[in-house]
Amino acid sequence: MEVQMLTDQLTVIFRKVFNDESIILNDEITANDIGSWDSLSHMIMIAEVENAFSIKFSLREINKLKNVGTLVKLIESKMA
Amino acid sequence: MIFTSFGFLIFFPAVIIVYYFLPARLRPWFLLIASYYFYINLKPVYGILLAGVTLTTYVFAILIEDTRNEKARKALLILDIIITLLPLFFFKYYNFVNNGVYHWLLSAGIRWPLPEITLILPVGISFYTFMALGYCIDVYNEEIKAENNLGIVALFLAFFPTVLSGPIERAGNMFRQFRGRTYFDYNKVVRGFQFMLWGYFMKLVVANRVAILVSVIFNDVDHKSGASLFEAVLFYPFQVYADLGGYSLIAIGCASVMGIDVMQNFHRPFFAMSMSQFWRRWHISLISWLTDYIYTPLAFNLRRLKMLGTVIALLLTFLISGIWHGAAMTFILWGLLQGSFLSIEAVTNKKRKSFLKKYNLTKKRWFVFISCLFTYLLFAFSELFCGPVDSINHAIAIITKIFSNFRGTLYYNSPSTITFTLFGIIFLFLAEWKEEYHEERFTLLNNRNWFIRNISYALLIIIILLVGVFDGGQFIYFQF
Repeated sequence: MEVQMLTDQLTVIFRKVFNDESIILNDEITANDIGSWDSLSHMIMIAEVENAFSIKFSLREINKLKNVGTLVKLIESKMA
Repeated sequence: MIFTSFGFLIFFPAVIIVYYFLPARLRPWFLLIASYYFYINLKPVYGILLAGVTLTTYVFAILIEDTRNEKARKALLILDIIITLLPLFFFKYYNFVNNGVYHWLLSAGIRWPLPEITLILPVGISFYTFMALGYCIDVYNEEIKAENNLGIVALFLAFFPTVLSGPIERAGNMFRQFRGRTYFDYNKVVRGFQFMLWGYFMKLVVANRVAILVSVIFNDVDHKSGASLFEAVLFYPFQVYADLGGYSLIAIGCASVMGIDVMQNFHRPFFAMSMSQFWRRWHISLISWLTDYIYTPLAFNLRRLKMLGTVIALLLTFLISGIWHGAAMTFILWGLLQGSFLSIEAVTNKKRKSFLKKYNLTKKRWFVFISCLFTYLLFAFSELFCGPVDSINHAIAIITKIFSNFRGTLYYNSPSTITFTLFGIIFLFLAEWKEEYHEERFTLLNNRNWFIRNISYALLIIIILLVGVFDGGQFIYFQF
């Protein structure tokens, strides 16, 4: 899957989970940039991403995520 | 030794002078000796316990890192957690569990009394135990490298500003600073002394003053009116905040004077508009520790349950927070209450946010005021279960009387007591209000004008000396 398509799909998930239609994702976006992205909603977003791409993360992988870019790379590596 | 003792007034300047005269490479070693001297001053034998936890942590972190087999790594981590928690369990929870088991067996007709432990809880054990566990879990998660220098690990756990009551620091932040060369940074030194001064104000002028009123009222429920009990309920969060917040600022300030950055522990908590905001501002080092090492793994494993998983993880995390605070049913109930508040907010989060956005409520002053007040009251009533009284029945008696028999006179001890208490609370509140809403305005300690700056320092010191209570006992969180 192309990176852009992947980011678009992620955008749909983010908008739904964080209840914000104005979200536009890029690699540099972090939890600080999205008001509702906190430790409570984080795992719900992770579960939605796993469902959407039929992949499974480990806790260690989740802990190492720094921004949307690292999440995109992780999803890519899981789908390769 | 404690921050408000006369001994510390001599100890700290002496440490600073020697620290900056020594070559930078020797400073961590000197700090280690000074920290152990500071700690064993309270009770020498507990230094051995701290050294034991240090050695266990040092060895296990290296073993975890050097082991390749994943199952063996996990087994080592579990063993480390058990060994590190043993002293904490022994000193803090043994009597509680022992009593529970005794009464449970008694109800089944079996009489099997085990001896009670009468030893005093080693001060700081809950704090350095969590720091030690956090370090080994970080090594296990490959977030940091195991430290080969035992002195650095020992200093991390014994560092005198944080050893007694936190902030609960992380190995990644502190190792980096202890390994590196510290140098004299004028701005950090000034900021450090400012933090210390404000910390002493919070502890001596606010916490110790409020404590006089609150303890008398809470310990005499039968003879105090509902109005007086409500007064104590309203004041108590200020006492706890000024006590632990003041302690934290002195700790952060001490470290800053030595060129070392320690994490923030409070961020104007009484301006939180919800309980989830509140817990991002109150005892930040403990909550972020619990989030990283308890909540996140729990929520991750329960993520398939979606919101239900979040709720279960929240309740369990705050249950552990309650148990960390103390071995009693009151603390367990307190933890479950906080977990329930946050769960309700998590479940209603989307609807609440849509509602607030629709009517633009977060920009309306009256709504901000009511939200802050509601959050404060919720916390104030729940805080009854976190230390000021000794049983759930006692706390419930207070709440019942407030709501059933409010009438009566307000207890104020003496005109000077209530005047100084209110002065401290209002002074603290106004200072926080200024920082929250007008950060760049009305600057006093940081004013560019030399005269205003120095007059402000002088006034603050005079207020501390005149209004402060210097025989107010220890810090509340020493018992945790």
